[in-house]
Amino acid sequence: MKKIINSPERFIPEMLEGIYAAHPKELTHAGDDLHCLINARKHPGKVGLATGGGSGHLPLFLGYVGEGMLDGCAIGDVFQSPSPEQMLAVTRAIDQGAGVLYIYGNYNGDIFNFDMAAEMADFEHGIRVQSVVAGEDVASPAALPGEPNRRRGVAGIFFVYKCAGAAASAGLPLDEVKRVAEKACANVRTLGVALSSCTVPKVGRPSFEIADDEMEIGMGIHGEPGIRRGKLLSADDIVDEMAPPILNDLPLARGDEVAVLVNGLGGTPLEELYVMYRRLAQILEQKGLRVYRSYVGEYATSMEMAGASISLMKVDGELKGYLDAQADTPFFKQYQQ
Amino acid sequence: MDAKAFAALLARWAQVMEDNKEELIRLDGLCGDSDLGLTMSAGFAAAAQEAAASEEQDIGKLSYMAGKAMASAVPSTMGTLMASGLMNAGKALRGREILDARGQTDFFRAYYEGVQARGKAEPGDKTFLDGLKPALDAMEAGLSDGQALSPIAQAAANAAQQGYEQTRGMLARHGRMAIRGEASREYLDPGAAVAALLVRTWADQVTGG
Repeated sequence: MKKIINSPERFIPEMLEGIYAAHPKELTHAGDDLHCLINARKHPGKVGLATGGGSGHLPLFLGYVGEGMLDGCAIGDVFQSPSPEQMLAVTRAIDQGAGVLYIYGNYNGDIFNFDMAAEMADFEHGIRVQSVVAGEDVASPAALPGEPNRRRGVAGIFFVYKCAGAAASAGLPLDEVKRVAEKACANVRTLGVALSSCTVPKVGRPSFEIADDEMEIGMGIHGEPGIRRGKLLSADDIVDEMAPPILNDLPLARGDEVAVLVNGLGGTPLEELYVMYRRLAQILEQKGLRVYRSYVGEYATSMEMAGASISLMKVDGELKGYLDAQADTPFFKQYQQ
Repeated sequence: MDAKAFAALLARWAQVMEDNKEELIRLDGLCGDSDLGLTMSAGFAAAAQEAAASEEQDIGKLSYMAGKAMASAVPSTMGTLMASGLMNAGKALRGREILDARGQTDFFRAYYEGVQARGKAEPGDKTFLDGLKPALDAMEAGLSDGQALSPIAQAAANAAQQGYEQTRGMLARHGRMAIRGEASREYLDPGAAVAALLVRTWADQVTGG
């Protein structure tokens, strides 16, 4: 393990101390617990948006707390869910009387804890909480009709944060913000490729084995098994393999518009992401799809894992409006055009 | 059972999870991430500590507080499920200072329902529920036969153990074991092992063992 840390046990608390020290005007915490991060600025009457999840994915999840995005985030240890008490503390701190919407990724531990936090918020404090669970990784199986979503939540949740965040900032009520978040979820698909493993500091060795000349299409951000492992291909061949499962999963017709996210998993340079983007743009053009907005960079990582993911969101007038809205967090800024 | 005896039961549960930590780690390591032994020993220890430090006479409130302490200590999947059991039992038994045989059965039923509501599993899905469900059935049968608490508890402990053993052969539908598909049938479910331990330990307390 080769990491710039002081000790595995202090890794996340010290990361948080650094984040609060660097962004004292933008971020603060609810009570004494650094794991309960909230926007330092309050907006009376606004629906509160909270997320949460394990650490190791920056800028996911806490990086999207700020103006035009989320109001709070409960932070767990590396790849571990935060506790319901921490989620509840965030919920209480961000409730402005209009209720709170939880938006988080589709993982059992997070679901159980957010559900418990929502019950405690209602039962103990009378705060109305709704939840939207994002799961859009096409490498994991789609749900059977009538079953809850079984897909993992990965980088595409960024689009959900962006649209729901803009809707809440525009003053929409809880049910409407939830509808926008669900609409974004329903229109996002993601697929990833991993070239190397990450290492959880407390474990000290790589989470999975993968040979130097291998890649795995569809691997999850915690090393969940993907669709196909094989020899590393060229950038164009990788994108040619990744694009169809995404495109075939969305109801897209020629002339439709999409927002694009090419996301680095932590150990892959931005240059390579743009080489991938180049090929993806060619494919989208061939399909007659218009790119409305593009995001290229690190939006959801898996520590030092090398690899990337591609997310597409089919957009209509409403989602385009929310996508265009201004956002300002320490980790993500977008100016109104 | 009064609040003091309930706190003592939580302490016994913490001890039995500590004693069986390595076995649970081994069971969970066959398919999962092998943290179950750590989660259960730390989780029940936190619940027991919370109850021991409290003067609360209301068993419902005590169970709810203990569940919350567990949820904070071990926010992993199984930790949150067990916490949900304690918290739901707490809500169901709010205001109760003494639990007779019926009341103790109600405790386990509410615990079961709390876990099921959180995890959304069904009996037969190879989970914790498959250990506790046969025990509940045995308790109800004993109650309707008018049996005393001791034989009811013994029958429940045996039924939970059998339920656990019968998870071998079941197809896992939840959690990491479900990734194994048909191959999951050859394994025992570690969650059901926890259920068998909980019921056996309660029976030991009831019978003065």
